[in-house]
Amino acid sequence: MYYQLINFGNEEFHAYPNKSLYWKRLNTLIVSDLHIGKSISYAKNKQFLPPYDTKEILNKIFVSLDKIKPSNFIIVGDLLHDVFSTLSLKDQDHKNLSQYMKNTDFIWIKGNHDKNIQIEGFKKFTNYKIEKFLFTHTPIETSLFQICGHYHPKVKISHRGKTIFKTSFVHNEKIFILPSFGILTGGLDINSKQISDVLGKKNLSIYPVGNDKVYKL
Amino acid sequence: MNINKSNPLLLHPLNKWMKKKKWSWFPHQIETYHHVRTGSDVVVFAPTGAGKTLTGFINPIDDLIKLKKFKGLHTLYISPLKSLANDIVRNLEKPIKELDLNISFQVRTGDTTPYKKQKQKQKPPNILITTPESLALLNSYENAKEFFHNLKYIIIDEIHTFLDNKRADLLSLNIERLQTFSPNLQRIGLSATLKNKLDAKKWLCRKKPKIVSYENSVLPKIKILESKERIPWSGHMATYSINEIYKEIMKSKLTIIFVNTRAQAEYMFKNLWLINKKKLKIAVHHGSLEKNLRLKVENNLSKGLVDCVVATSSLELGLDYGDVEKIIQVGAPKGINRLLQRVGRSNHNLNTPSKAILVPTNRFEFIEAKAAIEEIKKNNLDKIDLKEGSFDVVAQHIFATACAGQFDINDLYKEIIKAYPYKKLKLNDFKQLINLIQDGGYVLKNYDQFKRIFQLRENKNIYKLVHKRETRKYRMNVGTIIENPMLKIKLGTKTLGNIEEVFIQNLSQGDSFIFAGQVLEFQSMKNNLVQVKRSKSLISKIPSYSGGRMPLSTNLANSVRSLLAKSNMWDLYPEQITEWLKRQKNISKIPKKDEYLVEQFPRKKIFYTVIYTFAGWHANQTLGFLLLRGFKEFNYKPLGFVANDYAIVLWSLKEVKEIKTILNLGLLDKHLDNYLEETSIVKRLFRDNAIISCLIERRLPGMEKTGKQVLFNSDLIYTVLKKNEPDHILLKSSYEDAKKNMIDYDRLREILKKIDKKIILKQLTSISPLAVPIILEINRENLSKNETDEYILEDLENEILKEANVLSIN
Repeated sequence: MYYQLINFGNEEFHAYPNKSLYWKRLNTLIVSDLHIGKSISYAKNKQFLPPYDTKEILNKIFVSLDKIKPSNFIIVGDLLHDVFSTLSLKDQDHKNLSQYMKNTDFIWIKGNHDKNIQIEGFKKFTNYKIEKFLFTHTPIETSLFQICGHYHPKVKISHRGKTIFKTSFVHNEKIFILPSFGILTGGLDINSKQISDVLGKKNLSIYPVGNDKVYKL
Repeated sequence: MNINKSNPLLLHPLNKWMKKKKWSWFPHQIETYHHVRTGSDVVVFAPTGAGKTLTGFINPIDDLIKLKKFKGLHTLYISPLKSLANDIVRNLEKPIKELDLNISFQVRTGDTTPYKKQKQKQKPPNILITTPESLALLNSYENAKEFFHNLKYIIIDEIHTFLDNKRADLLSLNIERLQTFSPNLQRIGLSATLKNKLDAKKWLCRKKPKIVSYENSVLPKIKILESKERIPWSGHMATYSINEIYKEIMKSKLTIIFVNTRAQAEYMFKNLWLINKKKLKIAVHHGSLEKNLRLKVENNLSKGLVDCVVATSSLELGLDYGDVEKIIQVGAPKGINRLLQRVGRSNHNLNTPSKAILVPTNRFEFIEAKAAIEEIKKNNLDKIDLKEGSFDVVAQHIFATACAGQFDINDLYKEIIKAYPYKKLKLNDFKQLINLIQDGGYVLKNYDQFKRIFQLRENKNIYKLVHKRETRKYRMNVGTIIENPMLKIKLGTKTLGNIEEVFIQNLSQGDSFIFAGQVLEFQSMKNNLVQVKRSKSLISKIPSYSGGRMPLSTNLANSVRSLLAKSNMWDLYPEQITEWLKRQKNISKIPKKDEYLVEQFPRKKIFYTVIYTFAGWHANQTLGFLLLRGFKEFNYKPLGFVANDYAIVLWSLKEVKEIKTILNLGLLDKHLDNYLEETSIVKRLFRDNAIISCLIERRLPGMEKTGKQVLFNSDLIYTVLKKNEPDHILLKSSYEDAKKNMIDYDRLREILKKIDKKIILKQLTSISPLAVPIILEINRENLSKNETDEYILEDLENEILKEANVLSIN
């Protein structure tokens, strides 16, 4: 898989087109905003999205873990979509997960969607610090470098009279925001107030995600 | 038969009023009255001005008077437009008030206040005038059966607009529902003259079907604007003739200028104002304008307070503006029926001819205009092809049925297949649509506890809505018209109308554009509102609306071909057109009626292949994509293509040597599926299907969702579904829609079946005169249009004209 090299906090990260981020030195794979079970929670409101999102997300995870074999697998929030989401995890899914948990630490940072739910084998934290990096769902007041999720950033690209939106990795000097790893999840414009309140508008490094390549703007 | 002596209408309650007005009954009115009275369902074909509306009401009024103080709903009148519904009320009011008849009548559309609607439900009028969508809503109420059980007549106005689209599907299902409620219900259809009258009869009539037809012997007077200026080679704006158009407006009391797109409307309006030295009152009217602005124009029009209105198809239907003296059609007519409909807007008196002037905006359009005039003389109308009904509309109907109460699926199925578009609906597909409404209908059963409708345990054929609050979601989703994502435009606090989000996304703050005839400066976009202020800028963009493409009718296309081939007619054309065609004949060839001319020539180390199919834009667009794939297979290194109604041009790095081997039916069979997959056509239609079938909502209550987000989500759903469940009913439905509407599959198939024997291949050294218009379109499509680009365009145009050796033709 092709990756895009990203330098953040004087460390090397690899951004993959499947929307995961790899920290090579510490053999750590990072993803965000999976929103597992989103389809079930919509079904509750009688919006019947195809119920294959959980299966696909798990498959995506397993493919990555097989390839990279990381020591740590960090989810920076919103693993689940809501309290109903665990309904979409079948016995076989739990079995598969526990296989992978033998060699990899599953670290689950609590996101606003995650509520007080536990899933066997996941180590759940409000935030998690490794060296000078803080893994947190949304940025907090700190002097550490932060790796977050929550915003599902996408970037608007206008070229030759056409306008497209692309899911993106984005960071400024101190804060890194991952795109959503989910299947049925939408996105938020990087220029929106919510994101610029966090990142500002200047000196952003933006990495739009293509089909099999992560670009750099 | 002496009509006057045996005319039963002389005893009709309206006869007194007719006499007072010094009007006499038309033969078709007498005939209709007779057929309906003897229990037939009838379709009446008559031109505008032949008392069509009245024809529909003759039997209901007769009945209501005889029944004396009939309580409840007696007659339903379905109109295709809200505005038309209001107009019908005004027309009905006159005789009923003047004769003091004891008949109540009201209108019910999306614009009717909730209070009035509530009152109507409690105390229904004798005659209700409404739209297909409002009818669907009425049928979704629990008391629908009570409301309609005494219904005697349903009148479908402008039925020709209801024959070939999803609205027609929706309407047909709801008519069958009414028939179930009230088995004695009789159907009356009112239509403009049609070529395939039998199809309309099949669509509507069940009981002793009858056709009543009245042909107008007075032909409209249509001519092409005689211009001293040169007709442009390509493009769609009639800038060249603006002064001459203005003179025509001055000559008539009241003129409607019809154009084909909203962008053209804005452009024409702006340019007329720039030369409006006489201070004529000119207005603009199109579907994106705010309702109040539109109503104001319509009012002024009917009162004769304006001199000219520039309009799109928004003013095409029904409304009777008595004083319109002249119609000017700017741009290609595209179809005979459409042109006749537009021309019929002028002078609603049957005995004097309507007057119209056609203004072609480029050279091919000149031929098209000429052909249209010829066909109208021969009364050769376009055929409206009936289509098989779409699945998504059935799904919506199932949901509506559930909202009205529990139902038996076998009864529902039997009722649905009575509707003409669904005669061939398979039980298996129907059951999948039931499942779609129940829980999405997926193979993976994840949603058992979240169903929207459920089977009763004691009788598995009976389904019931899970909760009453679901009815609200149905009511928010009703209808088959899906607009592109639109944003409201605000000038101060005043709303001017709606504009496509895509257009706004390409604007930066300070850019100016034309809307509602004003030059506006884009300031900001907040909460789906576009704030603008007035601007004095001379450089401005014109919003485009993607829905604006009207395909060239097969009938008119054939006529264009035969006219082109008739070289003895050429001398009657303006010199510039004659010269153009003569040079084409010398340098290349003018294709005969059944020939397909293919020209190939090199230009700047690139090889061009031009194919003249006259198949309409949709079919040509599809063919272009397929050929692109075919060329790739033969390793010709194709770079791109452009299509218009008449032709396709492809360009490639290598010379295309085997065009005859590639261009045949095999091309379609081999590449169509890939094509549908690669382009976003099916994906886009999936969005419409998902919304119409109520799988996703247009707008979630309490959530601020823009149309854009719906598009985004439906794309994700499409991708996931396609991967995991490629046989899902909604994918099948979208694919069928694509075949029916977007790619003109049948038309293309017909052409490709016979094309290989009819190809005339011409190898040329440079561009032919006939190819100039489409070659110019390449450059137009590939350049964005700001001011400097116009100079580049002009340069290019001159260069190409020089190469084609036609520069001297004006």
